[in-house]
Order: sequence, then structure tokens, then C-alpha cells
Amino acid sequence: MTQFQRFLAKRLAISVLLTLVAVSVIFVVLRLLPGSPFEALVTSGNLNQQQINEIRSMYGLNQPLWQQYVSYMGSILTFEFGYSILRSQPVWSVLEPRLVNTLILLVPALVTTAVLSSSLGMYVGWNRGSFLEKFSIISTTFLRSTPVFITGIFFIIVFAYNLELVPAFGMRSVTASPEGYAETFLSVDFAYHYVLPFTVAVLYYSGDFLLLARNGVVEKRGSEFLKLHRAKGLSEMQQLARAGRNSMLPILTYFALRLGMIFQGLILLEVVFGWPGIGRELVLAIQQQDYPLVQAAVFIMALAVIIANLAADVLYAYFDPTVSTNGSGSA
Amino acid sequence: MSTETKPKAELYKRVDRIQSLVRDQFAFLRQDRLAFAGVLVVGAFVFTGVFGPLLAPHDPIEYTVRDQAGSILRLSGPTGAAVLGTTAYGKDVLSQFLAGARPTLIVGLFGGLGTGAIGFLVGLVSGYYGGWVDEVLMRLTDLTFSLPFMPMALLLLTFVTPNIWLMTAIIAGFLWKMPARVVRSEVLSVRERTFVKSARASGASDFRTMFYHVGPNVLPIGFLYTAYGVAWAIAAQASLAFLGFGDPTMTSWGRMLRQVFESGNMRIAWWWVFPPAIGIAAVTTSVFLIGRAYEEVINPEIQTDQ
Amino acid sequence: MSLLEVEDLKVTYTTDDESVHAVNDVSFSIDEGINYGLAGESGSGKSTVAEALLGLLPGNGTVERGTIQFDGKDLTSLSEAERRDVLWEDIAYIPQSAMDSLDPVMSTGAQITQAIHNHRNVSDAKARNRVRELFEIVGLDPDRIDDYPHEFSGGMRQRVTIAMALALEPDLIIADEPTTGLDVIVQDKIIDKILEIQERMDSSLLLITHEIGVIAETCDELSILYGGKVMEQGSVDNVLVNPTNPYTMGLKNSFPEIEDGDADPVAIPGSPPNLNREPTACVFEDRCPFATDECGESHPDLVDLPNRNHRSACHNVEEAAQMRRDAKAPETWDIPDSDADGSDRGEVVLETDGLEKYYEQSQSLVSQFRGEDPDYVKAVDGVSLSVRRSEVLGVAGESGCGKSTLGETIALLEDPTGGEMVFDGEPFEYYQDGNLQEFRRKVQIIFQDPFDSLNPRQTVRKLVGEPLTIHDYRTDERERAIVETLEKVGLTPAEKFLDQYPHELSGGQRQRVAVAKALVLDPDFLICDEPASMLDVSLKVNLLNLLRGLADAEDIGIVYISHDLASLVQVSDRLAIMYLGRIIEEGDVGRIATQPKHPYTTSLLAAAPEKDPTADRTRVLLDGEPPDPVDLPSGCAFAPRCPKAEESCWEAEPGLDEAGDADHRAACYVPDDESESPASKGTAGDGGFETPVDADSLSD
Repeated sequence: MTQFQRFLAKRLAISVLLTLVAVSVIFVVLRLLPGSPFEALVTSGNLNQQQINEIRSMYGLNQPLWQQYVSYMGSILTFEFGYSILRSQPVWSVLEPRLVNTLILLVPALVTTAVLSSSLGMYVGWNRGSFLEKFSIISTTFLRSTPVFITGIFFIIVFAYNLELVPAFGMRSVTASPEGYAETFLSVDFAYHYVLPFTVAVLYYSGDFLLLARNGVVEKRGSEFLKLHRAKGLSEMQQLARAGRNSMLPILTYFALRLGMIFQGLILLEVVFGWPGIGRELVLAIQQQDYPLVQAAVFIMALAVIIANLAADVLYAYFDPTVSTNGSGSA
Repeated sequence: MSTETKPKAELYKRVDRIQSLVRDQFAFLRQDRLAFAGVLVVGAFVFTGVFGPLLAPHDPIEYTVRDQAGSILRLSGPTGAAVLGTTAYGKDVLSQFLAGARPTLIVGLFGGLGTGAIGFLVGLVSGYYGGWVDEVLMRLTDLTFSLPFMPMALLLLTFVTPNIWLMTAIIAGFLWKMPARVVRSEVLSVRERTFVKSARASGASDFRTMFYHVGPNVLPIGFLYTAYGVAWAIAAQASLAFLGFGDPTMTSWGRMLRQVFESGNMRIAWWWVFPPAIGIAAVTTSVFLIGRAYEEVINPEIQTDQ
Repeated sequence: MSLLEVEDLKVTYTTDDESVHAVNDVSFSIDEGINYGLAGESGSGKSTVAEALLGLLPGNGTVERGTIQFDGKDLTSLSEAERRDVLWEDIAYIPQSAMDSLDPVMSTGAQITQAIHNHRNVSDAKARNRVRELFEIVGLDPDRIDDYPHEFSGGMRQRVTIAMALALEPDLIIADEPTTGLDVIVQDKIIDKILEIQERMDSSLLLITHEIGVIAETCDELSILYGGKVMEQGSVDNVLVNPTNPYTMGLKNSFPEIEDGDADPVAIPGSPPNLNREPTACVFEDRCPFATDECGESHPDLVDLPNRNHRSACHNVEEAAQMRRDAKAPETWDIPDSDADGSDRGEVVLETDGLEKYYEQSQSLVSQFRGEDPDYVKAVDGVSLSVRRSEVLGVAGESGCGKSTLGETIALLEDPTGGEMVFDGEPFEYYQDGNLQEFRRKVQIIFQDPFDSLNPRQTVRKLVGEPLTIHDYRTDERERAIVETLEKVGLTPAEKFLDQYPHELSGGQRQRVAVAKALVLDPDFLICDEPASMLDVSLKVNLLNLLRGLADAEDIGIVYISHDLASLVQVSDRLAIMYLGRIIEEGDVGRIATQPKHPYTTSLLAAAPEKDPTADRTRVLLDGEPPDPVDLPSGCAFAPRCPKAEESCWEAEPGLDEAGDADHRAACYVPDDESESPASKGTAGDGGFETPVDADSLSD
């Protein structure tokens, strides 16, 4: 076994363990806290005791806790998410379209911002002290520190309400009834609704990439190897390219981590813009105490982060020729 | 620790040191105009947080603004009766704004302090001891990373009636992972420095080495992340309140925004939207700007020639 | 015609609140094919000159005035693009720290082809061929051109930068401290390589270094810089043999040399000038014992000495001959003559027998299941030595030989994995078993890096006082104990330093605080791990003299670990040479320095440069570098590199008693100077299996 394989095996094992623990935590939070998912239904008077018992046994809630735990683990780890209590549909058929909606919004936004703001960050890091540097730092500091729903509200007020350029809410017009993903996402109507949340998401993510790239380049600028590159007669752009290449790794890893977080959606963004994504669905499910939906959604989110973490570690170990894969320095 | 026979002189010296420390910090912040503006904003925010409820002309929830005829003044723009206009329920926006600063301040301050303190301690212990201690603590941070913050917080808050202290605890309980990781990696490099080895060689205990030698040298990073923690906590509190999971008995800026949003009056009632929205944005941005000014100084890698 | 002519160069750095006058009116010229040396201590402005030549000054540094004529062009007035054309094509650069100077995420070959492509329009294949050629020239394996920098050792990386400098056959190569941080044997090989190549290519060389020994051996002409001023300039033979400037004299005298082990080197007291203001007086005035009123009024001009290639900047240059004589005596520099030689050595305070420190290498799960023995890094492999009170034992070796681990193992900062160690009559197990505090009080260790060995957030009072608190020692008279100790190490008046933080102290002062911190507990035993390696030569000598004096006056046993043989010869009573975790030679300093027995010791001694340009030194260039201490060959560990290795050397490892007598032992079957060694055993035949004490029992 090479050192890299060993490292990979260890990381994998840790990730699997983490998944198990995370899933258990979700179970504990959902089952042990007071309140029952059917209280809402009972108090609303829609069900009698008989029906409640039937439903309880259907969801296995009448079994002892440990049996519930075992069957829960068994089903959730095999991606059997069961039925949504309130929507009376398989959980997956509720979540799938929502997840797609979220990804279609955030993945392009993340990629765009990673490319644009990292490039900008490298550029301003190279031209340290310029007006552009100050300006970009202030604006991205504002954008990344302000909660995303507030930025969203500002944008809605300006672009949707006052300039009336784009709609403020939803993913498509009420009248539209497209069939299938292609028709949904390739329409002009969709693009109209897409612009605003997309822009806000791009701006919200931009700060970290910009600073990461800028700090990396600033740090490399004073380095000895760049001095040698300069002595070799490389042009400014060539030097910047080398400084940028040397700061790529943290940006790549950060990108992987962010990508994992995308499955959580930007909950607040989705709520403000009425985007039917997974984050907004989860808030609704929590409000309505729809257990199976909540646990499935949270599980998917946790799993995505764990996988992204793993990917980031492996990326780092794989792409950095100098990093040693056994954790500490080489012996 | 020290059994000095001159406690008074020692005390004076200490006061002196603190004074000059404060003066130094202030002088430093004066240099960075942005950070200085941030300090002013944060200062104003703290003032409002402490005295806001006393300054508020009316009770933010009980009092209803009425016109001369005695009917409730709903969704009125800024007028003499209500300087910043009224809400859809006829409440005074200015009073709500002034009173709403307090929960924001409490959660921000204590959430940030909690985040910084827990993260600092975990990072310090984890990085200093290494081995299985490190392994356990770092896997714990991985776990808090993998559990999505917002949904988990919402879940917890559905079962328990939210109050600001609970929210503070939940926020700190989730956010400590950030400083923990950064402090740990910092500790890892400080731990290798010669003076730490030298402390061990002169017989210093683990406790002493950790808190007298390693700790002070990573403290700046701890402070920095405490500052960031304050901004995160404010943002998180506002977000939770906006989703309707705030303390129902208290007016906060996030809750004000939720009410505008829910009542569907965002399009017209700009006077109701802007005070809390700008308040939150200004405070979080200011805290970050101050933090950044310090980061430029602390991070040895980016403090090369200007 | 001169290739490079620097005239009245002045460079300043501006920081937030002040400007630093780093280089002040420096002029020199380099002819074609000439090796030119630029010497000076840190802060003398020598690297700034190189950066100004190359246009690599950092953003806050500016060339205020002066011209740099290169081949008829003024480099200071070139545009960025024009300068880029000159760089590398005509002037190449060998940087100071090869460790950080190569781009970590670009293969070494690609970094060189990049330079070629940038200036020449050649095909990729051709450029690669050129790189292979260059690798061969500098002695690297041409098949490794696609390797990344981290896959090379420090010395090899320096070879890569040399190969890079040669790529376009430039007219001038500027080498900025090319060997600093390298081991003496590697340094010797690199210098040799630079000279060999540069002779073949007929280019000029500007060599910047703080080691005048290196310049003496390699250069034709030199300038000596101090405080941003040229103090003395001319042909190496003139300047270094007959210096006319007090600074040059002081610098030369403070270099310890192996041959004259008895004559203490004389250090220049004081510290380099503050360059915040433009110099009005002679920059060396405050440290110069010959200073007159005139010296306080202006900095002297550089004047030609009659009929020779020799210029000096000194108001008293007429009295040069007299000054030269006086400068050799320590009293001239106000240094008390501490020649308390021949102090009685006391009883043995520390003794180790076959001491071992192995590090287990991590191994895969599969081989753990199979029950395979893990690999060990044998950092310290059976070391037996003893130290008496008032005795300084020097431990010498190249980096990676395990000498620092030995120091830390003796200090019980690392747990020994085998062997015996007795301190003050008790075995180390006794101390580990709950009596560690007692050990920590009696044994102190001083570390290498004065910039890092003090907690930056404590004042001197706290730093020195902390051991007292920990051990509850003299706590009722803390302040007195602290002041006493500070004065003992020469920090007077002590009160001035008490409230200062490390960053307010100079390098030499910091190292003294570190020594004070060790001495405040009145220890019986001191371990010094390269305490002087980061200090400038004059400070280094001060520290050596201080430690020597302490050993004599305080009855302390000292282990002094260093790679610098010259300093070791100065400070030690006995010397132990370490190679790959073992002691391969041990004995009286005088005898080892003059009649080394082990071929490794011989090459170490031979590799040290001579400061006298007239001396002729034969280089012993060893092959390769020390092997990985994991898979050591059976037999003598040095055999693969040894010029004299015989069959027997490969079969069994020689014990330390193999050659020599009780006062001078060496682990070698074929020792040097055999005929002169009184107690020679003759060449040990094939029956040399006498179960050596420190044989490697785990090597099967």
C-alpha cells in the first residue's frame, strides 16, 4: 500500500464513522426532544385515536426506541426515506425536484464567483494598495458579512420594486406550467426569475474567494522563489501567474468545501426570493414537523458536507507535491 | 501565582499597562480609516443596545400610534407623530428599532465571546496535546461542520420556546468550530517554536506551558475570531428571527424584518425595512472591517512590505 | 574594460515612521572574468547592493542616487522591459536560500526551461536537452529534471539554482550567500562547483557572503562593507593579508580558525550602527579602539593606497601597520583576557553508555498484521560519552547526523529508547520516575535560534525569573537572583534590560538572555545546541568566550553541539565527531584538530575555508550525501562515501576503540596518520569482530 492509499483509507474510514455519528445525532434530536409529529394533526382534530395508532405503527413509532433506531439507520443509510407525513408522497419525490432547483441556482453561482473573484483577488493582491484593492475588499466585506437575506431584500427593493426589471419572487410565473427539467430551466421566464437570486448568491460567495486569492498572492509576492522568477526576467503577468498558481490550492479546497455546503442551500436566500429549493422546503417541513422529510433532508446535507470534506482533503494531498500524506512532517 | 509583596505597585503597573494598551489599540485603529469608522458604528450600536429601550419614545409592542382622530395609524411614512413611520400594526418603527438593538447586542456579544472562548480552548488543547486528544476534538469539529447549522438550530428551537440565552448557546455551540480549527493550526506551529521546548526543558508543567507560553502567542488569532464570531452571531440571530424562530417576547431587528416580509409590505414600507436592515448590515460589516484591520497585522504572511 | 561599474550607489528603505539608509555611496567595479567578493556582517547592506543591481529591491527600497554601468548601459535608467532583457541573459543570480527559492509547485526542469524560453526562441525539446546538460554540469542526475524541488536536498537545490544561473551563459553571475545554511562539506563542494564552471565559461562572479574565508579562497578582489559603507577595497591578497582598516582587522581576527586553536579569536565589542540617519561620523567610530576626534566628524573617504590595488576608508590609515599589531591583542578592544587555561576538570557529572534514540516509522496496517518489525530511524545510535565538571565537550557533525536529538535526549526532552545514562550518580530512569523536576533544575539546555528561543510576550524579568518560580528557587530574593545572573552573562546594567521584550533586544543580547535563563538556577550541567549559529561572527565569538569562562568559573559541565568545527575547537576541551547517530571519533581537541584519525573527520576539517588567501588548502570532496538513517548499510556507515574504504569496512561496524588510545579514539579500521598514532593497533584484519559496544543490534 502506498502512503497515499493509506491516507485515503484512513480518511474514508473517518468519513464513514462521521456519517454514522451524524445520522445518530439527527435521530436523537428528532426523537428525544419533547413534542410529537402528530400533535399538530391531533390538535387540528383531523384524526381520531384509531387513525393515529395506525399511522404510528405504519411509521414504526410504537416500537421501542432502540428498534426504531435500528430500522431508522437501516433505511436511511440505504436511501429509503419513506413517506412524507404531510404531503403523503414518497420523501424522495418531494425532495428531488427541490434539490435540483437549489443546485441549478447555486452551482453556477459558485463556479462563477470562484472564477471571477479569485481572479480579481489575485489581481488586486498583486497591485497592493490600489484603489481597486480597497474598493473590492470593502464591498466584498460588506457582502459576505451582511446576512444574505438583507442583501436580498435590498436587491429586491431596488431591482424588482423600484426599477421593476425582474420579478421579486418565485422561480417562474404563476401561469407557466412547464413539463420536465429542460423546458423548465431553458425558458426566458425562468431566466427572468433567475437573475436576481443568482446575482445575490454570486456576490455573497465572492468575499471569501477574493480574500483567499488576494492573501495568497500577497504572501507569495514577498517570497524568495518569486524573487528568483523576477530575476529570470519574467514579465509581470508571468510572475502573477506563478503567484496565482501557488495560491490555487487553498482556493480549490475551499471550493470543494463550499460545494458540499450547497446542498444545504442558502436557506435565507431561498426564503426571501421564494425559490422552491431544498432549504426552503426544509424550513417548511420543520415548521410542520414533517419528520421523515426533515431527517432525509438533513441527512443529505450532512452527507454532502462529509463527502466534500473528504474530497477537499484528498485534493489537497493529491495536488500539493510538498504535502506529506501521513499527517505530520515527513520523518 | 506570584506572591509579590508589592501588590499595590503591581496593580498600578497593570493599570498603566492596560491604559497604554488601550491607547495603542486606539492609535492603531485611527490609522485605518475604515476600521475607525467601524469602531464608531460599533460604539453607536453598543450604546443603542444598552440605552435604546430607555431612549425609545414609546413601548415597541404595547403602544399603538394613533392620529388625531384616534384611529390607528397603520403603515404611515415618517411623520411628526412617528419619526420613522409606523408598522402595519400601527407600532412606532423608531421605538422598535431602538429596542430591537438589545437582543441583537446580547446575542452578538455573548455568542461571539462564547464562540471565541470555546473555540480558543478547544484549539489550544487539541493542538497542544496532539495525539488522541487532538483526534477526538477534531472529529468533533468535523461533526459540527457536517451537521447543517441553520436546520439544526431551527429543529432545536421548534421544540423549546426560543429565548435569547438559548439562542446564544445554540449559536456558540455551532460556531466554535471555526476558531477551533484556526487556533489549532496556529498552536501547531507555535508548539514547534523553540521557546516552548525551552519552557519544557526548564521544567514547566503542561498547564503552564499551554497557558503562559503557547496561549498568549495565539491570543491575537483568538481575539480576531471572537470579533468575527460577534458578526456571525448577529447574522445568525437575525436569520433565525427572520425565519420566525426568534424570541417571541422581544423585538429584535431580525423580527422586524420578518414582520415586514410576512405582512407583504416590503414594496411600500421602506421606512419599516431600512432601519433594521441597515442596522444589521452596518454592524456586521463594521465588526468585520475591524477584524480585517487586525488580521493584516496578525497574519505574518500578508504583512510584508506595503 | 570593466564589465560592471557601480558608482556612488545609495539605497534607502522607507518604513512607516523612518527611513533606513542601507547603502551609502558605495562604488566598486568588476572586470571581465574576475571573481569579486562583497563581504560584511548582517545589516552591512551587501544583499541590498545585489538587489539594487538586479532591480529586485522590495517596494519600499529606492535607489536614491548613483549609477550602475553594466556593459556600457546604466541599469538604473532602464525601463522594466529593457531590464528584463538584461536579467538572466547577461546577469544571472544565485539566491541566498535555495530552500525557498525554487517554485514549490513547478518541476525544477520547467523552472529552468522557463528562463530559457523567456529569452531565447528555442524548441521545447532543445530547451529540455539544455537542462539535462546543465544538470550534468552541476552534478545532478539528468533524469531528475521533472522532479519537484521538495524531492531534492538542500545542497542539491542549490545545484539546481546554479544550473539555472548557467542556462544562458551570462556575463555576470551574482551569488548572494550561496552556501549559507549548508553543511561545511556541501558548502565546499558547491563553491568548488561554482569556481569550476565559472572558469570554464569565463564569466565574472560577484560573490556576496559574510564568510571572509570563502572570499579569500575564491575571489580576486573584494570590498568590505560595514553600515552601508565600503570600508576597504582592493585585491584579496592586499586587503586580507595586510588590512589597513580597523574594521577589517577586527573582522579577520574574530574568525576562529582551526589551526590556531590556542589563540582566542578577538571579537569586536558593541553592535552594528543604527542606519536611521545618514552617517555623519565614521560608521565604525563607536566600536573602533583607534578612533580619534576626526573620526567623529566625518566618514572618511575611500582613498587609494600608494602603488597597490588597495583602497581604505580610515582617517588613520597612515598608522595601519601599528594598528594591525595592536588589533591582535584583546586588551586593545577592551576585552578582559580570559585565558584561564588549564582549569582543573572535576569529577564526571554525566555519562552515557550506548545511548539510543530510535524513532519508529509509521507502517501500514497490513504489515502490522503480518507482524513485521517496523522500520526505525536511528537518530542516536549507541552513543557513549562522558563529561566532567568544568569541561566542555564539543559534539560536531553535519545536519541530520542526530546531534540535536542527542542533545535533547541527554536533556530528557526525548525519552531514550535504549542504553544507559547516568547523571550526578543516578540513572536516567530515576529522574524519569518522578524526579524529573530535580533533573530539570540541574540540567539546562540552550537552543539554536535566539530569535525564537524566547517567548516574545514575556519581559526579560519574567523570562529569567520563570525558572525560579517553577522550581521555587531563591524566590525570596528573585529580583537579586535575576540581576545577578544577567550581569554574569554580561548584560549590564541589568536594570536596563529587566522590562524589555525580546524584540527590543539584538540577536546577541537575546542569546545572552537565553543563557541567563539557563544559569539562573545554578545548574550543574549545560547543553548548548548550536547557540551561536545564527549570530554574526563578532557576537559568536563573544558567546563562545562567555561559555568557556562559565565552564571554568562555575564548575559546570557543558556539551556544546555545533556543525562549526572552528568554533568547537575554540571552546571545547574534548571533541566528539558524530556521523549518522554514532560517535566516530572522540578525544582531545588539539589532537583531533591536528591529527584526525577518521577519514570523515579529515574531510570535515579540510572543508573549512581559510581566511588567509595565501594558504593553500587541498579539498577532500566526498561523494554524495549522508544516506537515509533508516536503511543503513551493514558495516561502517561511512564506507559508501569513504575514499579509503576496504573490504573489512563493509563487513562489520568498527567500534570506537578500533583506533587510537584512551585520549583519542576513532571508529575506523584504516585510520589516517596511522604511523604517528602511538597506540596504533595496526590494521584490523578480518578478525575485527570484537563485539563492538555500540554495535547496531537491530540491523538484521
